[in-house]
Amino acid sequence: MLTYILRRIGLAGLMLFGLVCLTFVIANIAPSDPAALAAGPDAGRSQIENLRREYGLDRPLHEQFVRYVTDLVQLEFGRSVATGRAVGTDLARYFPATLELCLVAMAIGLLFGVPLGIVSALHKDGPIDHVTRIFAVSGVALPPFWFGLLLQLAFAAWLGWLPTSGRLSVFTEPMEPITGLLLVDSLLAGNGSLFLEAASYIALPALVLSFPCLAQILRVNRSEMVEALRADYIVAARAHGVRQRRIVVVHALKNAMLPTLAIIGLRWGWMMSSTVLVETVFDWPGTGLYAVSSAIAGDFKPVMGVTLIVGLNFMIANLIVDLLYGVLDPRLRSA
Amino acid sequence: MTNRVNRRHFLQGAAALGAAGTFAPFSSVAFERDGNRKILVFTGNQAVPVLDPHWRYDWSTRMIQQSVYDGLLKYVGTPPKIIPWLAEKYEMSPDGKTYTFTLVGNAKFHNGDPVDAEAVRYSFERALKMNAGVAWMLKAFLKPENIVAVDARTVKFTLDRPYAPFITYVPWWYIVNPKQVKANEVDGDLGKKWMTEHEAGSGPFKLRRFDATSLIHMDTVPDYWNGWPMGEKNRLSGFIYRIIRESAPRKAALQRREVDVMAGVTPDDFQQMEKVPGVKMVNFPGFTSFGIKFNCQVGPTADVNVRKAIAYAFDYDAVLAIHNGMAELMTSPFPTPITGHVAVPDMPRRDMAKAKEYLKKSKYPDGGFELEYVHVQGLEDPRRIGLSLLDALRQLDIKVNIVAQPWPTMTARAGKAETAPAMMSVYVTPVGTDPDTVAYQYHRNSWGLYYGVSHYENPAVWQLIADARGETDTAKRMAMYAEIQKALVADQPEIFCMMANRIWGMRDYVRDFAYSPVRSTSEIDPYPLWIEA
Amino acid sequence: MTDVPASVAAEVAQRRGGAARRWRLAAWLIGRSFASMLGLVLVAGIVGLALLGPWIVPYPEHVIGQVNLGDKLKPPSMANWFGTDEVGNDILTRIIVGARLSLLVGVGITFAAAAIGVPLGILAGTAGGRLRETIMRFTDLFLSVPGLVLAIALVAALGPGIGNAMIALILVWWPGYVRLSESKALAIREEPYIEAARVSGASRFRILWRHVLPNAISPLIVKMSMDIGQAILAVASLGFIGLGAKPPTPEWGAMISIARGYLPDYWWYAVFPGLFIYLSVLGFNLLGDGLRDILDPRSHRT
Repeated sequence: MLTYILRRIGLAGLMLFGLVCLTFVIANIAPSDPAALAAGPDAGRSQIENLRREYGLDRPLHEQFVRYVTDLVQLEFGRSVATGRAVGTDLARYFPATLELCLVAMAIGLLFGVPLGIVSALHKDGPIDHVTRIFAVSGVALPPFWFGLLLQLAFAAWLGWLPTSGRLSVFTEPMEPITGLLLVDSLLAGNGSLFLEAASYIALPALVLSFPCLAQILRVNRSEMVEALRADYIVAARAHGVRQRRIVVVHALKNAMLPTLAIIGLRWGWMMSSTVLVETVFDWPGTGLYAVSSAIAGDFKPVMGVTLIVGLNFMIANLIVDLLYGVLDPRLRSA
Repeated sequence: MTNRVNRRHFLQGAAALGAAGTFAPFSSVAFERDGNRKILVFTGNQAVPVLDPHWRYDWSTRMIQQSVYDGLLKYVGTPPKIIPWLAEKYEMSPDGKTYTFTLVGNAKFHNGDPVDAEAVRYSFERALKMNAGVAWMLKAFLKPENIVAVDARTVKFTLDRPYAPFITYVPWWYIVNPKQVKANEVDGDLGKKWMTEHEAGSGPFKLRRFDATSLIHMDTVPDYWNGWPMGEKNRLSGFIYRIIRESAPRKAALQRREVDVMAGVTPDDFQQMEKVPGVKMVNFPGFTSFGIKFNCQVGPTADVNVRKAIAYAFDYDAVLAIHNGMAELMTSPFPTPITGHVAVPDMPRRDMAKAKEYLKKSKYPDGGFELEYVHVQGLEDPRRIGLSLLDALRQLDIKVNIVAQPWPTMTARAGKAETAPAMMSVYVTPVGTDPDTVAYQYHRNSWGLYYGVSHYENPAVWQLIADARGETDTAKRMAMYAEIQKALVADQPEIFCMMANRIWGMRDYVRDFAYSPVRSTSEIDPYPLWIEA
Repeated sequence: MTDVPASVAAEVAQRRGGAARRWRLAAWLIGRSFASMLGLVLVAGIVGLALLGPWIVPYPEHVIGQVNLGDKLKPPSMANWFGTDEVGNDILTRIIVGARLSLLVGVGITFAAAAIGVPLGILAGTAGGRLRETIMRFTDLFLSVPGLVLAIALVAALGPGIGNAMIALILVWWPGYVRLSESKALAIREEPYIEAARVSGASRFRILWRHVLPNAISPLIVKMSMDIGQAILAVASLGFIGLGAKPPTPEWGAMISIARGYLPDYWWYAVFPGLFIYLSVLGFNLLGDGLRDILDPRSHRT
């Protein structure tokens, strides 16, 4: 078991290095002049050269790579050329926002996915089942950016129930972060109004982000439920009346737990990646928005940083799922 | 974090609990109050990554910089005028090389230190040494050792050679408190790290909260050495710059009175927003020129006749229509507010007959080639202008390939004539009103920089530009610039296109909004603003 | 997600054989499932638009970059069902012509990814040993990369454009096919009839061609059908971020990206292109789902 775990961790480390190489290659294929970006539009030649030296951009590529990797080992992500700010500091600022968004989205997925799956299995092939099936497929078919815009139109622009975008109101003095998750921090500080405000801001983006995940959880739970309903002893038990139905549900839920966990694990990394679109639509100050705005500006250090952070999340989530399966399903250990 | 629950919090919480999550109370609050003074909230889309006035500037950054720092001189009004500020007067020596500034006696930094000649000397030296941000303006003419603090109130600058635009750049060089900077120096970094998020200034505002990407809150300095134009009674408590990236939520915030002034209004929004009660839309003639620069060395556009043909085929009215009329066509290569601007008589306007005539004279009498049009990724107006260009050139059988690229890619391509695109759209905001600021982009020395992407070649014009910068006789100098403007139109290194109007939306209770074209698009001066309600 | 009678019927059909009969059964199964039927109709609709597009649109000249600023941002009307955009072009026209691009790109990315991934996967599955280890670790690397973020970084570096968007997406898409075909190849490697074929001296290529590929084909078709939808969505996402097709090419995601600046007043500009993305992705997903029930009744459980 231990060797299995160590092996998996070793592989994850190797892959992380692969990811570092990959991002470095991507950042350097562009025929771009980051020093000119750093210097600003009016700068003269000497200023640009000055900055090129300062950022080490005049060094040969392999030297830049070595420097990048050694910096990474010390958790230094380099500096953004567009702003001159340290990418690590920026990431530390943006990541909690993304984390909070993904956590809330995951919770919504579970909260609605499981019961909807059960309901649609209980009404298999009925109209409810068809509707939830289309709903489930919609989960992966709805363009998140468009869905987000529609919700903004409906709930913010027309109904005026929820704010359009951002994480807090213009005037709200944000509190000193404890965990960085506003919902948690506001509760810890006993600030109910801040909690409600934060909740109103996170509602729409979290809903959009949760949708694909919700759909998958729904489908897994449905099929487990169908399976459970089909089992012989259940068929036999049906004669005993409605109360048995509850047993069926509990039984199916138990079976559905493992695949649901797997989905959470797999979807976690995916969420961290697709939050890019959601954050762009909702102006959510997280890593996704940071990556997009930097990429558009041709500023690659932040993009590399975000890719690494998200990749790390992918890997950790996968690792945990693998290990859980390893624990729960001994046959896999030898693989 | 103070746990002070203000009225707003209370209202919001109560409403959220009571009215099923209806956030209508957002709209009931006009402006933030702090005691019985008001806070003015301004919103725009651009962050303020670095506050250091000698490290970088752009519109949002400079708006904050000019609030917490003072310069020796200051730009105000339209047409832009330079008025004394930290310096009550200055003198130029007859040879145009030495400038002597006399400081006001009463200016104080926010920590109480006096603003003296040494602070001025140190600040200029620091900017030159850092060789970033504003340094390019004076770098070639001023050595740090030639700035001398003669006495506490007198500073003398000795330039290497006469440089007529000198004074027009001085307002952008802000004075920092040497003591504070030195106290926060790390490894001889000239305080760069600390100055990124802190200020050491003497300006009308003090920094209260600095969050580069979301909110900057400044307090007014009660006993500001230069006083408050609206009077002590009406002085604001402070100024908040709230960064909202997207235009839709920015508009909504203004409509709901969450903010008082908004930048980044598009012409399409203008009419819509004008109808909102309580909202006042303002628009002023701009100073930022939009041009489409041709590659004058390589490809079909190396042929002046092709360039002329395109300039005559270009649909200037479409550009005005894209801006809903809120733009002004260029009447010369120089923006109108530039000193020495003359309206050049034969500026091209759409004339297909002339366009075809010019094309006939070129090596490509029937067109049949494709040209690349590059604009900054994510900018909407240049993209639409590209579309209108594509539409216009179809009649000459010239294809246009519209390409959006990130800025550093564009500057990298501008580096050499071989890689420079056939047409590149650029906005140029002159940092001063001196004609040299604009003219110099056509000089040989600008080749390879983004504004020199044309690689324009005309040694006679180059000579004129070089001579004009050193000419101390104003009349002679302006005559030279008139000649330069005519020559540029004749050579057509770019389509001299237009200047978009500057647009802001604001609540009708905002007073004394002072426009000056010399600021960047969107940039405002928070100093004279106040709220009457 | 399979219905019991469907899977039973499919098994029966497979056993009894008879191509015509199988087709009839497939048609019956699809027809019986409302969701699959809807998928088929939507896909047929999109393909129809893509094929007929240029001939049926009301304003064909509005896709080549005409500028009619006098008509900009008009709300939906009889003349312009979906309204007009910021340079006065008919949105319906641009959406219909955009269907062709989206479909081509979706199909192109999927096939290119399969063309790279399937041979690699089969190779890994049949070869085993160090080669398999190398291929699979490489695949894992790409699978562990946040796809969208990587694609954004790539397109930003290469420069926007539909070609670069496709390259980026193919690059993040192929590993899925390696995984799928490798597992299929692995699963039947030990089957007696493969052993038999190997013993009887069949070449590796022949074994691959005759036995492994046909076995992998059903799940492959299902995956590809779903992936076409997802690829359409991914290209639109890049377009939305501003890294998609160059103007004046009409591309759905890019249209929404521009339209976003005109919300909420000019809502129609963002709403209609998005609706078409949604419907076409939904169509391909429902179809894939339905195909899975028919072609691959046993593998429906995740």
